[in-house]
Order: sequence, then structure tokens, then C-alpha cells
Amino acid sequence: MSYVLVVAEVRRGIFEERNLDSIGLCTLLGKDAILLIPEGDYGINEQLVNGLVRVKTEETLFLNPLNMVNILEKIMAARGKPDMIVFTNSASGIELASYAAGYFNLPVITDVNGYDKERGIFFKSYYSDKIFGEFRPSGEGTFIITVRSGSFKENAAEKGSAPPAEAIEDVAANTARTFVEYVEEEKTDVDITKAEFLLSLGRGIGNKDEIPDYEELAGLLKAVISGSRPVIDKLWLPKARQVGTSGKTVKPKVYLAMGISGAFQHIAGMKDSSCIIAVNKDPEAPIFQYAHYGIIADIHKVRDALKGILKG
Amino acid sequence: MNLIVFTKRVPATQEEELRITDEGKAVDLSKVPFKVNDWDNYSIEEAVRVVEKSGGAVTAVSVGDAESDEVLRRSIAMGAKDGFLIETGDVLHDPNARATLMQNFLKKENVPFDAIFTGVQSEDDQFGAVGGILAAKLGLPFVSMVIGIDAYESDHLIVRRELEGGLQERVKVMLPCVLSIQTGINEPRYVSIMGVRKASKVERKVFKAADYQENVVNKIEAVKWVYPPKKAGATILSGELDGMCKELLGILKEKGVYQ
Ligand SMILES: Cc1cc2nc3c(=O)[nH]c(=O)nc-3n(C[C@H](O)[C@H](O)[C@H](O)COP(=O)(O)OP(=O)(O)OC[C@H]3O[C@@H](n4cnc5c(N)ncnc54)[C@H](O)[C@@H]3O)c2cc1C
Ligand SMILES: Nc1ncnc2c1ncn2[C@@H]1O[C@H](COP(=O)(O)O)[C@@H](O)[C@H]1O
Repeated sequence: MSYVLVVAEVRRGIFEERNLDSIGLCTLLGKDAILLIPEGDYGINEQLVNGLVRVKTEETLFLNPLNMVNILEKIMAARGKPDMIVFTNSASGIELASYAAGYFNLPVITDVNGYDKERGIFFKSYYSDKIFGEFRPSGEGTFIITVRSGSFKENAAEKGSAPPAEAIEDVAANTARTFVEYVEEEKTDVDITKAEFLLSLGRGIGNKDEIPDYEELAGLLKAVISGSRPVIDKLWLPKARQVGTSGKTVKPKVYLAMGISGAFQHIAGMKDSSCIIAVNKDPEAPIFQYAHYGIIADIHKVRDALKGILKG
Repeated sequence: MNLIVFTKRVPATQEEELRITDEGKAVDLSKVPFKVNDWDNYSIEEAVRVVEKSGGAVTAVSVGDAESDEVLRRSIAMGAKDGFLIETGDVLHDPNARATLMQNFLKKENVPFDAIFTGVQSEDDQFGAVGGILAAKLGLPFVSMVIGIDAYESDHLIVRRELEGGLQERVKVMLPCVLSIQTGINEPRYVSIMGVRKASKVERKVFKAADYQENVVNKIEAVKWVYPPKKAGATILSGELDGMCKELLGILKEKGVYQ
């Protein structure tokens, strides 16, 4: 029977919300979704899928690409090849998807954010979201997709009855890569998730020497400073200030973004702010799609003009 | 340790207006400046640091047209010993095709390595897939999103990989292996124009992609390029700079974050 295999992303006992986007894509395609998940109590709404396969293994073994290919092999032996295997587009989802694609020699399209059912086309972001590519697998047969979080969640719908569940036992753990431990971020004194007003700086600030001037502006505005990933990578700001998927998720009253382009990993961390204001010299910057207010200008000039007014 | 690092030349599109041409068949990049893929800059730096401590050599490899020599010169300026270009005029959108080409090349030329580094993703295509596909094809263990190499022993590495929300995972991986390197793992050294000029005196080898075509097929088809659907979007403030800034302060007052 034709089906889609949805590989669940679970971390430390939590069924990640972005799995709903994977399930939603199956609903949109009109395909039965079989959810692959490690054993454990994840409190999921089973009615959203058409079947469940519980793998009797620990989370960290399940999320290891070297083990995942063995698990997939077992399922395909038992159930036949799926039409599609869907992963989340996250640190783990992409890792699993790309390795499985190489291992089984299957087509893979990552970071999919839309689907055109009539034409059988997947939309994939290119050039930091400035262009979308329309992609499809070249031939027939199983292909692999990773789904951008937030793209298909709304399509997920309950089926009305609890689906049948199966189990897979005895997955031999590969020893070439093994989990050692989780490492938590160090605690710091500033907590950007508590701030009501964030002044967030992106790569557009140009270099580290500009930081004190923005700090002065933040002082005058009584705003807390945060930043996008490149600013943190370059050590212009400390890690605790990073907004985005690999940093913090913030929901301030006002998020004032200066020199940030609006990559989805950044947007995911600030899109629920009550008011987003973006300053960028590029009118095509994707951040203007998510902002409530925008200023198309040089950020340094805006900074200096604001300081001028505030100092009277 | 002998390390192979894959490095790609990409268009720096962040500040550019991009135009789709030929009824969706192409994106005009003729006026866009090109540079080394940000992620690969970090991975070259990491490889050079490993070799500086443990001995061995770094080989930088790029797949692309003759212009990609630029990222090889840059890699050499940073400390790589060799630069190999697998030259092709074709744009290979499919990460499967690129990884297969790389696999064929490594096998045929018998390039020795203890580990292969790629970047997490290319800035242009954002696939994030070449490293994982290549690892599986070579039958090697793979770790992606590597944000720290904590220890290297003769037969294994201890690395940290980045997950979401500040969480990391420490992993033991046996050698040889493939790692995809995340930005922020280090502070890449500065490369001066002089440095690149000096590096251009070091010979780079050019190989023809045509010689490594076995099983290189496009498993996915790039049908068309389109502009992302427009949302409601922001209310764009207009007028003189001073006026816009006063309006901005007005909004901040209205939202209650500034008196
Ligand atoms: C696994 C993974 C996790 C990631 N996690 C995160 C994360 O948590 N947070 C995050 O932010 N990113 C994250 N990223 C990176 C993300 O993909 C982008 O690379 C990053 O968000 C880009 O940051 P930016 O907008 O500051 O820089 P850019 O994309 O380079 O944008 C700079 C912007 O500044 C503008 N600009 C330049 N000069 C000026 C000027 N003088 N005046 C006005 N405007 C100017 C430009 O027009 C441009 O729009 C992650 C990536 C990966 C692969
Ligand atoms: N044409 C290429 N030449 C050299 N390396 C590449 C090429 N394409 C991809 N890579 C490597 O694979 C990584 C991930 O690329 P991608 O899967 O395209 O996002 C990059 O960071 C590079 O290290």
C-alpha cells in the first residue's frame, strides 16, 4: 500500500512541534502518514496519523543517522518502499535525511516550504529566501524531503480513529558514532527572552567597532541588545544574545531589527513579537515580509539620527 | 591527520537585487559579487587548526568553473597545502550529483584522508545535504552541525554538535569520518590580498569533472525559479531621515516601550 514515512523528531522526551509540519505535508499530498517514533511517552495526538511504528530504542540512538538507516531498512523490508520519507528541517532532521539519501541512493529536497499539488512541485528556498526554486524528483520511486517548520502545520488533520501501532525491535547500535552527553548553554545574567524591547543587530552593522554606538542608542531607548547569528559567531556579541533557532526564541513588545536580512532560522526566533520594525538598505530583504514597520535606509544613519533626536 | 575540506564559491546575494530571467529558467547573477561560502571559511580554519596541532596536511577541493580557483587560493593562504579544482561548466543543483562526483574523484585519485570536512550548508542553495550524502556513499560515519572538536585521538574524535535553542550534543566518532562544520566554531583568520597573492604561487591542480561521471545523475529536477509569495508585508515609512526617525519613536511610544 502506498504510504509516507514520517520520521519524528524527539528530544529529551519532547515531541517537537515541527513534526506537525511533516504530518501536514502528508495530508496535503493526500497520502497515509506512518509515524516512526522511538518508544516512550510523548503524549502525541495519534489521530493525526494513519499508523505508528514504535522503535524499541532510546532517543539518542534513534536520532543517530548510522542507526536510522538500519531502522529504515527494517521498515522497508516489512512494509515495502514508501512514496516519500519526511524529516524536519532541523539540526537532526537534515543530518538524518542527507545521510539516508546517500545510503539508499534516493533523491532529496531539503528546506521545503510549499507544495503545488497540481504540478507535483516542491518549493525550496534559495539565496537566503530571496528566490524559491521549484523542484521535483526526476524519476519514480521513493524520495526524501525535509520540511521547514511552520510551513504545513495547518494542514494536519485528525483522522477520527486511533491508528494501528506496530513495533520494531532489536536495532543494533552502530559503534562508529556514539552519543556521549548533552551540553547545556551556560547561564548568564542578561535574559533577552524577558526583555520588552529588543534592539537586534545583524551582519549589516559591518564590524565590531560599531557596537558601542548601538549600545549607546540602546541605552537612550532603554532597549536590550540582541543579535543574529553572524554577529554572535564573530564574537561581536555574547552567545546569550543570539535570537533564532540555534539561539533564543523571543516575543518582546517591540523587536527593532537593524541590518538583519530575515533568514528563516532568525525569523523562527522572533516572528511572534508583538511589533517588528526592520531597518535595512535592501528593499527586497525578506525581513520586510515579517515586519509591521520598515525603514529602507542605511542603519548607521538611522542610528545617528535617532541619537541626535534623543539627545535633543 | 590528513584532512580534505570541500569549499565552494558562492554569490554574495544578501545585499543584491536578484532578477529571474528566461521565463524562470535562470537567475541573473552577472552583477553579483562572488565569495567563499561562509560555512566553508570556518571549516578550512578548523582543519588548519587541527593540522597545526596534530601534523598532517589540509587539501582544499572545490567543484565549479575556473573561477572557483579563487576559493582554493584563499584556502592555501589560510594554511591548506594543496588546492584541487574539479572543473565543470555545469551548475549541479542536485546535492546527490555533487556528492557522487566528489566520491568518484576521491576514489579515482586515491586522495588519502583521515577526515573530510564540509560546511553545514551552501549559502546559495541551502541544501545542507552534500556532507551527509558523501559520508553515506563512502560508508563513513557522519556528524553534522559540528561546533567544537574537543579531542582527537588516533582512532576517533570527540566533537560537539549544535542542536536547537543553545543545546549541544557531545558525540564520539571513529576515524575516518565526515564532519559538517557550523559557523562560530572558531574565529577564521584574516586573509590579506597579499596573502592570497602569495598563495597563487603555490600550484593548484585542475581535474576535469568529465572524468568522474559514473552514476552522476540528477535525481531531482530544478523546474523553475520564482519569487517568494508576498505577504502583507511591512508599512514602509517614508520621507526624510529625521522624519522617519521621529515616526519610529512615535511607534515606540504607542507600543509602550519608550516614554
Ligand atoms: C543550522 C543553522 C542554524 C542557524 N541558527 C541561526 C540563529 O539561531 N539565528 C540567526 O540569526 N541565524 C541563524 N542561522 C544563520 C542564518 O541562516 C543566516 O545566515 C543569518 O540569520 C543571517 O544573519 P544576518 O541577517 O545578520 O546577515 P545577512 O543575511 O548577511 O544580512 C545582512 C543584512 O544587512 C543589510 N545591510 C548591510 N549593510 C547595511 C547598512 N549599512 N544599512 C542597512 N542595511 C544593511 C543587508 O541588506 C542584509 O539584508 C542558522 C543557520 C543554520 C544553517
Ligand atoms: N560545488 C561545491 N564545491 C565544493 N564543495 C561543495 C560544493 N557544493 C557543496 N559543497 C560542500 O558541501 C557543503 C554543503 O553544501 P550544500 O549541501 O550544497 O548546502 C558546503 O559547505 C561545501 O563544503
